[in-house]
Parts: sequence; C-alpha cells; structure tokens
Amino acid sequence: MKRNVGCNILDHTVSRRNFMLGATTAAGFGGLLPSTWAKDLEGNQKQILQVYLQGGVSQLESWDPKPGTELGGPFRAIPTSVPGIHISELLPHTAKMMHLLSIVRSINLKTDDHTQGRLFMEKGRNNGAYPFVGAVAAKYLNSRDPSLPGYIHISTRGIIDDTAGFLEPQYAQFKLEGVKAPENLDLPKNISKKLYLARNDLRTRLDQQFAARRRKSYIDALGSSFNQASKLMERKGIFEAEQDPKDLERYGTHDFARNCILGRTLLERGATCVKVTHHGYDSHAENFNFHLEQLGEFDKTFATLLGDLEDRGMLEHTLVMIYSEFGRTPKINHRYGRDHWGSAWSIALGGCGIQTGGVVGKTNDKGTEVSDREVHGGHLFQTYLKAIGIDPTKNHDITGRVIPIGDPAVEPVDELLT
Amino acid sequence: MTRFQLLFSTCLLVAVIPWGRTTAAELHERIDALLIQSDPHFVQHEAGLSSDSEFLRRVYLDFLGRIPTATEVQIFQQQTDIHKRVQTIDRLLRRPEHARHMQHVFDVTLMQRLPKKHVPVEQWQDYLYRSFQQNISWQQLTWDLLSATGAQAETRSAARFLLDRELKPELLTRAIGRVFLGRDLQCAQCHNHPTIEDYPQQHYYGLVSFFSRAYLFSDPKNKESSIGEKAEGTTKFTSVFTNEEATTFPRVLDLPVIADPPADKEPYLAKPDKNTRGIPKYSRLRQLPEAITRADNVAYRQNIANRLWYFMMGRGLVEPLDMFHEANAPTHPELLKLIADDLHQNQYDMRYFLKQLALTKAYQRSSLVKAAEEPAAPRYTAAQIKPLSAEQLAWSTMQATGLVQTTRQATLESFSAKKESDSSPVITDWISLELHLETIVNKKLQEHVNTFVTAFSQIDQPGEFNATANQALFLGNAPLISTWLLPADNNLTARLVAEPDSDKLAKELYLCVLSRLPSPEETEQVTRFLAEFSERTTTIQELVRALLCSAEFRFNH
Repeated sequence: MKRNVGCNILDHTVSRRNFMLGATTAAGFGGLLPSTWAKDLEGNQKQILQVYLQGGVSQLESWDPKPGTELGGPFRAIPTSVPGIHISELLPHTAKMMHLLSIVRSINLKTDDHTQGRLFMEKGRNNGAYPFVGAVAAKYLNSRDPSLPGYIHISTRGIIDDTAGFLEPQYAQFKLEGVKAPENLDLPKNISKKLYLARNDLRTRLDQQFAARRRKSYIDALGSSFNQASKLMERKGIFEAEQDPKDLERYGTHDFARNCILGRTLLERGATCVKVTHHGYDSHAENFNFHLEQLGEFDKTFATLLGDLEDRGMLEHTLVMIYSEFGRTPKINHRYGRDHWGSAWSIALGGCGIQTGGVVGKTNDKGTEVSDREVHGGHLFQTYLKAIGIDPTKNHDITGRVIPIGDPAVEPVDELLT
Repeated sequence: MTRFQLLFSTCLLVAVIPWGRTTAAELHERIDALLIQSDPHFVQHEAGLSSDSEFLRRVYLDFLGRIPTATEVQIFQQQTDIHKRVQTIDRLLRRPEHARHMQHVFDVTLMQRLPKKHVPVEQWQDYLYRSFQQNISWQQLTWDLLSATGAQAETRSAARFLLDRELKPELLTRAIGRVFLGRDLQCAQCHNHPTIEDYPQQHYYGLVSFFSRAYLFSDPKNKESSIGEKAEGTTKFTSVFTNEEATTFPRVLDLPVIADPPADKEPYLAKPDKNTRGIPKYSRLRQLPEAITRADNVAYRQNIANRLWYFMMGRGLVEPLDMFHEANAPTHPELLKLIADDLHQNQYDMRYFLKQLALTKAYQRSSLVKAAEEPAAPRYTAAQIKPLSAEQLAWSTMQATGLVQTTRQATLESFSAKKESDSSPVITDWISLELHLETIVNKKLQEHVNTFVTAFSQIDQPGEFNATANQALFLGNAPLISTWLLPADNNLTARLVAEPDSDKLAKELYLCVLSRLPSPEETEQVTRFLAEFSERTTTIQELVRALLCSAEFRFNH
C-alpha cells in the first residue's frame, strides 16, 4: 500500500515544461473546473510583506520560549500586548505589537535541510517545480503598479531559486542586493533614450520575425524579461532615492533596517510581494550570543516597520509573514549551539486576512515535539493565499494543464483566518 | 614534463585514434527509421533540412560552445562537397574547443556549480578538459570519479566529485543516483517512495552502504583531506513512517547485493589512526565503480544515452533527466533501448555517439515547424530551440563582437615576438599551436565567462528557460558588453564603422552575429536604422546590441 507522506504524485513526475506542454497526466485532478481566475480577483490589490529570517531562527529564543526548563536556554519570557501570550525577552519591541500578529507554534516539516525547508515553506509542496508564494501572488493579484516587478526580494546574499516554477518567468522574484539600485539600470554611455528605444523596437521586430513558426513560450519569456527591464529603468528613482534620516533614526542604520525601509517604500509604490531577508540565524555555535545580536537588530526594526504599516492603513491589505526554513534543536550542543530543527518550531503572521492576537498549536514542555495542531508548509501555504483572497483549491491559470494551486491533500489553518 | 609538452603528447594521441567505425556508422539511420515508425503522422509534420548556415551555427554551438566566425560560415557555404556536413562534424569534434565545451557541460552536470571545498575548481576543470581531449569514455570517467580517494596526486582532481560533497551520504547518494543512474532518490531517503514503485528505500541505503565505512581523513602534514575507510560498519535504516528497521549490504538498485567477504584476522592494509588514512583489505567503496558500470546495470547506459540525446536534441527521451521510473515512461522506448545499447556496445565512446546523433535527420532538420502550434509531445519532426548555456552565451557574444579574434591575434603576435631565450615551448606544428592558443585565450577570457555565469546560471536547469529582468538589463546595458562594442583593433564595431556601404555593413553584421546573410528586408531594416540617427558609431553599437539581445542569438535553433 502506498503511504500518504506528502510527496504528491505531481512532485515527482513533472517539470515546468511538462506542465506547459501537457506531456504528463495530472491523474486525479481531472474533475476540477478549469480556472476562471482573473475575473474573480478583479479589484483585489492585496499585498504581501515577507520577512525571512534566513538560516533558521530559534523558536525557543523567539516565539515559543521555555524559560526555566532543561533545554530552554538563558533567556526569560516576557508578557506582550496580548494578555496571556509570552514571547522571548529578545523581542521587547515586537512584544508591544503582538496584538497585530498571531503565532503558529506547531510546525513540523519533517526535514532539517536548509533548501528543502525553504522550498517547502515557500511552495507549500516538499518537491517539484511549483511556484513560490510570492510568484503566485504576483500572478494572481492585481498589481497597484504594473511597471514594478510583482515579486521583489531584498537580500544581501546570492541564493538562487527557481521561484516561478511552471508559471511565466515574469513572476519570478526580482532580486535587489540591499538598497543598491539593481545593476545595469543605466543606459550605456553616450546612448540617448531615443536610440535605446529604437534598439528595443528593432529587437522586438527581429523577435517577431524569428518567432513565426517557432516555439513561442521561450521567445515570449525572453521578450517579457526585456519589457520588465525597460520598466525598471523608468522607475530608477525608487531605487536611487536617499533614505530619509528620520526613518533611519527610527529603523536603525544597519543593512536590515535600510532594507526594511526600502521594503516599505516598494509596498507603498505598489509592488505586490516584497520579501526582505535577514541573514545569519544558522547558529550551530554560540546560539545565545548570536540570537541576542541578530534579534536585537531584527526586533526594533521589524516592530517599527509593522507600526508604520499599521499607521498608514496598509495592514488592511497587506499580509505580513515572519518565517524561516526551520527552527533550532531544543538540544544545546557542545559549542553552545542549536542545530537544524524542522520538526517543532514557529512562525508569526499578521495583517490582512489574519486573526491576530492568537496562538495556534503547541509544543510539549521541553519543546521536543509538537503536542497540538501539527501543521507543515502545505497548510501554511494555503493559509497565506486565503488571507490575500486567492483560493488555493482552484487551479493554476496555465494553458492546457490542470494544476491545483495548493496541495489538495491539505487544508489551510482556518482558525488563523478572519 | 612541462604542461605544454603534456598537452602536446595528448594531442598526438588524439590524432592517431582511428575515426569512424563501420559497424556503428548506421546508428543515425536506425534512429531516423525508428522515429518515423513510431509516429504515423511523422512525414506529414516533418520540417525540411536545415539550411547550411542554420546547421553550421547549431553544430558549432553544440560541439564548440560558440557560434562560428563569419569566415567559417562563408567557407562552409561555398563548399560544394556533398560530404561537407560530416566532414565538419569530424573536424569540430577534434578541436581543442570541443574538449573545452565538454568540460563546461560536464562540470555543471557533475558538480552543479558547487563551491570549492577540498579540490580547487580550476584543477578539476583542467582535469575534465584534458580528459575530454583524450576522448575519455563515460565508463572511464565514471571509474575515475568513483575510485579516486584524493590521496594520490595524480587522481586528486577527479576526487572532487566525492570530496567536495564532503563524503556526505545524502549528497553523494543523490548525486550518484542522478548523474549515473538517472534517478533522484532523495525522497527514498526516509521512506519508500510514496508514488514511484521502483524507488524503494533499499535503493537509497544500498548506495549509502558503499560509503558507510568511508570517512574524511585530514592529513596532519599537509592538512589535505582524502577518503579513508574502516573495515567494519553496517548500514541500518528505519522508515520514519513504519519504524521497520532493515540493514543492507552495498547494492545498486535491484542488482544483486555485494556481500562482504569473510572477516580477515588482520582486516587492514593500513590501520586508521590520527596520522594514518585507513585502508582496509576489503573496501566497500572500491566496489562502487564496478557495481555502477557493470553490464547488467541497464540504468547506467540509459541514463547517459538520454543525457547525450538531450544535449543534442534539446529534449530528453525521459524528462526530467533524473526521473527514470515506471510512471514516467520514455517518449520513445525502443529508441532509448537502441541508443543505450549502442553506446554500451561502443564502450561508451561519447565522441562517436555525439557524431552519430549529429548525423541524424532529426538533428539536422530546420527548427521551423510546419504548423504554428506547439506540439503536445516531442516528435522530432523539427529541431528544438535550446537556450544557450551561460558559457555558450559568453563565448558567442565575445565571438560576435570580435573579442575572441582580437585576443587570438594578440596572443599569436606575442608568440612570434618571443625571444630564443624564452623558456616557453617552441611550437612546431599547427595542432600544438591550436592547443596552445586555445588554452591561453581561454585563460585570458575566463573572467568574462565567469561574469556571464553569475548572471545566467539560473538557466542550468535542463528543460527550463528562465529569462529574468536582471539578465535583460545585463544584456542591454552592461558596461562589460559596452566595452566590447567600442571600435578597436579591427573588431566588429571598427569594421562596421569603416564600411560606407550599408548593404555590405548589414551583410557583415548578420554574418558575425547571427551566422547567416540578411534577407533583403533585413538589409533594408539596417539601412533605415542607420539613417535615423546622426551619430554613426553609437548607432552601430546599438544596432549590434539589438542583434545580441535578439531571440535568434539567445537560442540555439
């Protein structure tokens, strides 16, 4: 007998090309109606802010503290703006904003691998060429500014993922290296705008001639990358503007603070999904000093950003996710580190579509196991999408294929949703 | 022996290998016959033969990793010999650039651009290059990679495959499964594969078992890591879902297990300790290359045949390339059997095999399809268009703009300027000259290739094409490409600027960038573009850039 262990049949049999060309059968999903997406979502201008704590933040030093227990570590738990909810003392500013967030304390991904954990959290599937949540949002939400890429990732390191999966490549993440403007945004020296436009026009005509009777999907993908490049060149100002000293004073002047200010600006300008990565949580040694420093940077900055989104009314239409690829082992190793731990850890969510001020799920007293309401990347993926008004039981809008957006074997975490 | 002498001797070796084999000469015909048999509508959809320029560009990109020069296109078009295609194929497969291109392709296949851990990447790449120059067979390459421990200097480069994965069972098992068996066993790590009947957990742990006694040994003298091995240890595994526990001896897929011989009183040739790399009398790890390459392991031949088919045709008979299993049947099962068996019978001679594929009508058809719609399944009635790899794109761009030519020219001039007292080798024949030139030009331009790899490595996924805005910005605006477009040393821009006749200018432009002559409409398009702007040099630069950014340049078609 086959065991249902979450490796969906599609995951193992199809690549993006097969999706596009219909070379494989999507057995079992034939009964679902073809998508009627675009119409349903007319007027949906929701957005996502993702704050990704790369490397795996410790749940014990953040959302699920176990002070005074054998493996709890040296830090205390502090009360928050929500009576009854305590989080680590390393997050004093965030604790004051707890009423704007909810915590999920019962995640079990069944993997302790950085890449697998990251992909499961982003794609809601533990394998296969599926799109990241940001790419799904970029495709199905109406952008408030179509001239910006729908899915922008501000990061300072080079992890390269295939974020669009089988969706069109224009929905893949556009990567910014910190607050630096993207490279090559300036026209070549001595080239006038008029000449550039003529060049671009000639390229388009050459491609039209070439595309006749050739494989269109590849050629269209190339064309759309040039179109997006042109739009970015027009929006150069957003990336090059000096950051307001008042903002820097409130957020901080480190990279993560600057990246969060840029993230806010991009959301205000209408980007559909903005992901800000805070690097460096992989604390195999000196876990406690590391978290003291890392979360010290994260806490005030994130709380300021969240406060700004609330003050500006943006939380009404912006989903906020604070997540990692996994948590850290309750067991403290001989280097005072905590290792990779995908089987009992936490994230926090807030903003549009989310019932805030709550906690979902539990771990046992030592934090070694989920003791209530176990969820994995698949459940969470569907929760994010429902929160922004995308029905995960629907099928992707791609030619010739019937692919459910969320894994049909799992459901969203309904108690988190408004 | 100097490095140059070494290169020289290997090239002599290449030169004396007899070329073409009578028994195998018909593989390409049998492939074409099978394709027609397997599809009743084949002839109806069949595209015409590629034009000379289409064929030449394709075969240069596939075999040398770059577009042909304008001169190479013109010479080929002028040749009237009916055997000119096969002669060109033979000639290209013996060029040093072919070994270089194979180095690039197999570097990515084998190492997926993993960062350096124990063996310097350049040393590994040089090993691949030298191996392909000698037309290493896939079987020999497999043996080299799976038997090198890194303890001997002469095989240390080849040990990168195992060493730079730090001997981690999960990484090695995955890599060996994918690269040599066409099977990604990742999910079988913790449970029997839920949906793929033929990926049981034993397959994963059967492979793990080859490594279960091996460990990374760090030599206290030079701090170099190599692979040591112990004489005992078993591989146990427990399904995380059923808690059933099992043990396994080394085993490849469903082939017989390789049981350990009876224990010896003194099991070691070198007993492992802090200062000694353990060498057991019976080594499980040493059984691996034989177990993978043995004749009854059909997965081994099918995997490489499918990979080389993909390399030439742009589609795998099984896709994804590492998803061979019952529920993912090959599109043309008989064809897969034919080519896999043929490659096996020909001792995994990849150069022979690539030549046979290049001789097929399937390969030599035009990419212009008869009907406009995309085919639901690959039929090989027309050639696929394939995105250029990062390396192909870099070399083609440098070729088109004239950088390769001017770098070669400067290198040649430096040769003749050398004095007698110079310690560098004296070059006496054209083969060694070509080899030497290629090596130096490659080294000089390597940095630029790396820049392209950084910008385009996302396209490494077989069967995928990702075009990002960052890449478009790079192609359209990057200062690096702008410097190649500055008129200098008789490069493309310099020649075009000096050409007063716009018909001739269009001809030179199209030959250099798109490897073909322009149509009258295209010549007209060029003339109009030039007439629109007064500043001639920048206008020409942008004209070249438009072609460099075009789909026709971006794809192998």
